[in-house]
Amino acid sequence: MRKGALALLVLTCSLPLSAQNETTLSEKLEEVVVTATGTPHMLKDVPVQTEIISRRQIEQLGAASFEDILSQLSAGFDFNAGDMGSQMTLNGLGNNYILIMIDGKRLNGDNGGENDLGRIDPHNIDHIEIVKGAGSALYGSDAMTGVINVITRRHDDQALYLENTTRGGSYMDLRQHNSIGFSVGKFTSLTTFQMQHTDGWQNTAEEDPAQTEYHIFDSRNKTVNMYTNGQIGERITYAPSDRLSFEADGYLYRKRIFRPTNGRHPSCDVNTFDMKYRDAGASFGSEYKLKGTDRITLDISWDRHAYYYHYTDTTLEEGYDPNGKYTPYYPYFPDQEHLQSDQQRTMAELKGVFSLPYGNLLSAGAEYRFDYLHAPMRVKGGRADDWTTALYLQDEYTGVNWLNITAGIRLIENKAFGFHATPKISAMFKVADLRIRTGWSRGFKSPTPKEQGYHYLRTMGATTFFYMGNPDLKPQTSDYLSAGVEFSRGGFSASVTGYRNELYNMITLVNVPLSQIPAGEAPEYMGDGSGQVTPRMYMNMEDARTMGIDASLTWRITSDITLGGSYSWLDTKAHVYDTKHSRLSEVTIDGMAHHKGNLYGTWQHRYNDAYRMGIGLYGRASSTRYYQNNGNGKPYQIWKLTTTHDLGRGKNGMTWRVEAGIDNILDYKETTPHGLHYGTTSPGRTFYCTLSLKFSKGRKMNTRDVEKGSLDDDD
Amino acid sequence: MKKFRFILAAMVAIAGFSFVSCDKESDETKNNYTRYQDAVDAQINKKNDSAILLVAFGSTWEQAFGAFDETIEDYKKAFPKSDVYLSYSSAICINRAAAGENGVSRNYYAPNFWLHGLGAKQYKEITVQSLQVIPGEEFSRVVNYIKDFGNNSLGDLDDKYLSEVTIKLGMPLLAAQEDIVTTARVIDNVYKTKAAEGVVAFMGHGNPDSYDTYKANIRYNQLEEELQKFSPNYFVGTVDAPENYKVQVLERMKKAGITSGKVYLHPLMSIAGDHAHNDMGGDDGEDMNPADYEYNDEGEIEDLSWKCFFSQNGYSCGEDELIMKGLLEVESIRNLWVEHTRGAETLEEVYHSMFPEE
Repeated sequence: MRKGALALLVLTCSLPLSAQNETTLSEKLEEVVVTATGTPHMLKDVPVQTEIISRRQIEQLGAASFEDILSQLSAGFDFNAGDMGSQMTLNGLGNNYILIMIDGKRLNGDNGGENDLGRIDPHNIDHIEIVKGAGSALYGSDAMTGVINVITRRHDDQALYLENTTRGGSYMDLRQHNSIGFSVGKFTSLTTFQMQHTDGWQNTAEEDPAQTEYHIFDSRNKTVNMYTNGQIGERITYAPSDRLSFEADGYLYRKRIFRPTNGRHPSCDVNTFDMKYRDAGASFGSEYKLKGTDRITLDISWDRHAYYYHYTDTTLEEGYDPNGKYTPYYPYFPDQEHLQSDQQRTMAELKGVFSLPYGNLLSAGAEYRFDYLHAPMRVKGGRADDWTTALYLQDEYTGVNWLNITAGIRLIENKAFGFHATPKISAMFKVADLRIRTGWSRGFKSPTPKEQGYHYLRTMGATTFFYMGNPDLKPQTSDYLSAGVEFSRGGFSASVTGYRNELYNMITLVNVPLSQIPAGEAPEYMGDGSGQVTPRMYMNMEDARTMGIDASLTWRITSDITLGGSYSWLDTKAHVYDTKHSRLSEVTIDGMAHHKGNLYGTWQHRYNDAYRMGIGLYGRASSTRYYQNNGNGKPYQIWKLTTTHDLGRGKNGMTWRVEAGIDNILDYKETTPHGLHYGTTSPGRTFYCTLSLKFSKGRKMNTRDVEKGSLDDDD
Repeated sequence: MKKFRFILAAMVAIAGFSFVSCDKESDETKNNYTRYQDAVDAQINKKNDSAILLVAFGSTWEQAFGAFDETIEDYKKAFPKSDVYLSYSSAICINRAAAGENGVSRNYYAPNFWLHGLGAKQYKEITVQSLQVIPGEEFSRVVNYIKDFGNNSLGDLDDKYLSEVTIKLGMPLLAAQEDIVTTARVIDNVYKTKAAEGVVAFMGHGNPDSYDTYKANIRYNQLEEELQKFSPNYFVGTVDAPENYKVQVLERMKKAGITSGKVYLHPLMSIAGDHAHNDMGGDDGEDMNPADYEYNDEGEIEDLSWKCFFSQNGYSCGEDELIMKGLLEVESIRNLWVEHTRGAETLEEVYHSMFPEE
């Protein structure tokens, strides 16, 4: 609700720009963004560099997923293949240190630090705001390397809105998006349903011979696993007066990641379980507008991310026998499920934005957050929790026209680590069409309930490890420094930003002496009662440094043609704990590529009222991605051709849209054997086609629509 | 008072709910256990009154499956009046071996389930044979499973039967000093021609420093000493036992004046699996240079295979010098385990029912 409400405020009342289908660069620069400061700003004048990916760009790109959008349109992102989905990095650091929000609400739940990005329906995105750097003063934990805020589409200005979008592509890539929206009096309702499926693919059947018994060429391991997910969401708003509005949201989400069940080699391609997620959430928000842009908001939300094994074959797991005694041999059978972890979070936030004299805008808020973890075999007693209360203040000074100074601080009190303060300060200078921005901000990440309460025995080979949480962990912290310059005039915009991000007290598992095992542990945690166990405990041990330069350029050459691109140079260094040698070693962060970039050119033309066509050519490239073990990812470049066709004027309220394209035109496919790292997991050339039907009735018109004579689209 | 009643009612409701959920959970536990045990029981085809249960850590390597198959066949021949079963103690290996479709699905059930099944079928004599090399960490687990079985830990076996059944324990290959002598002689018989050509270095697993169970690591030194009575070219090192890594093997070779020539490598493990193929014969560290070796706190070089290590140190040690055979694959050594089974001693007083009232 928080940012979503702000977006709603500006999108529906003051600046209905994203309501424009034919978004152009100059319009884009006038787009309103909210993520950087929590207050609405024109993109051009936002005090902290903000990247925006618009609905128009997403549609022209014909993206299948959120990952597609980010990797194609923003140079800082990268994705690694993982058994449970893709693993995201932004400017060299992983999802652990990136805060992802949907409509200003943080995405809840992770698996090994990775959020499940399937929750984000690419067809339901209005736009994406990306603010690189630490944003913890405003957003709290996790915002150490960047904040991504996905603003979803709203249809509040339509009496009735129906949409069905179906996308089909190679490898049974299916996407469904359906919306039903209506408004009655002061109520609006929006029901959405999405489904995503892919059969996954296998770029090679070869296994890395160094990791297998003999050279295997008939592996069943896939490069990307099959998955299916589905989500249903409901949003109801009620605005009893111009000043007061309420909103209630809820969603249910399910996902299953299927792993091959026809493995041939028990040492490498045989699996006995799939992964399943069951997520749910509910939230309530309200906003009271004071004078001008001043307002007070209250948001309360609850989310759960439950992660299960779904067995596909008989499997022995750790558990408790009928006597309640620990056993490594608890049996499960096909189609049974076993809860691995259930992460629940409850949050409440009260926030106010107030205009003060002499060009000051004050944001002040209080937040309470309660995290609850139920992980039967992972934490002591199966349950752990954590709470944080926070107060934050931010002042934006715009007393003189050429300067904006924003400073803020968050004061938090945490159940485990106590008091912590996180400040930030940034300045923006305006000189004609130049914007010079610089800032320093701190980020932090609270120790997770898992890191605090882990209590887990694992036998690997002949060694039994006892993983222990550590209630004395400090938060991980970061210092982010950046400076950049942006030039924009007419249809041209270019920016260059340099940054340096230092992370401290990073949490990792460290081998510790047996004496660290607390007294009174159950005998099994001492290793079969004979003291034979290697204890590992979470500790604040590692540090890292990333630095780089991000550049981007957009040039609208004519009203039909736009060229753009971005480039990212990155260098990383980290002191990572080496469990084999029990010491820190200096390394490059896994997955880093020094050079990444993307380019695009789009041409859009309206032939007549009934037909508009768009063509886009997109390229992205990366230099070698470096890894400590199991080889480097190869450099690659991938090109994509997309077309869009808007049909019909929608006189009867109906509009049709067809998108079709070819991804990876040059059919580049990396066939690195399984067990080694990839530069890209692209399956080679693929095709897709999307059909979108929309029906809307009773739409409120605005002046810009009339001027442009463009009445055919809703979004 | 009303409030109190409400609280009381709420507490009762919560307690009731917890009770119900506990019950449900324990039902599932019981059901899964029973279901799994039924599957194990179904594999037990009792033809004799005596059973032999071979217990190995386990592996997912196909060569290891072959070695175990061969061992089972040998045991069947050697003990025609016993039913022979093989067990893995690694859950992951059990899961994958059972699910793999390359050839047959192999059910190497965990020792506790096999023992329970054998008890349910009321075998009069059960011999548990450890397929471990040294009486270390893994062996101690085997002993624990026998204890649990004898103690009727799940409480659903016939106590009278348990008090009467004969349980024997077959010791690991290098259990006692006399085993060292015998094993050394058998090894020399097999590899004396190789030892005449160059060094024959055996790579055992070993217990890590933190828990040298039963101080079993000493067995490797004792074996080397015994083998060297046959030829000074025999050496025995380990992957995990401190002060007996490949680095120390090289030191001992140099001390003995062996600075060049062939070095044959042979796993001193029951099967040739992951360790044999990677730690011993893999290509890890092939680009390393002796001048740049990084030694860890215990004086070992990580991420460097034995093959690369010896070849980088001036010996002839390549693919041709790898003897990629687990000890179970060498017939005369396999027979030593068979002999241990023949000599397995009866465990007295294993039976102490945890449920005497039943």
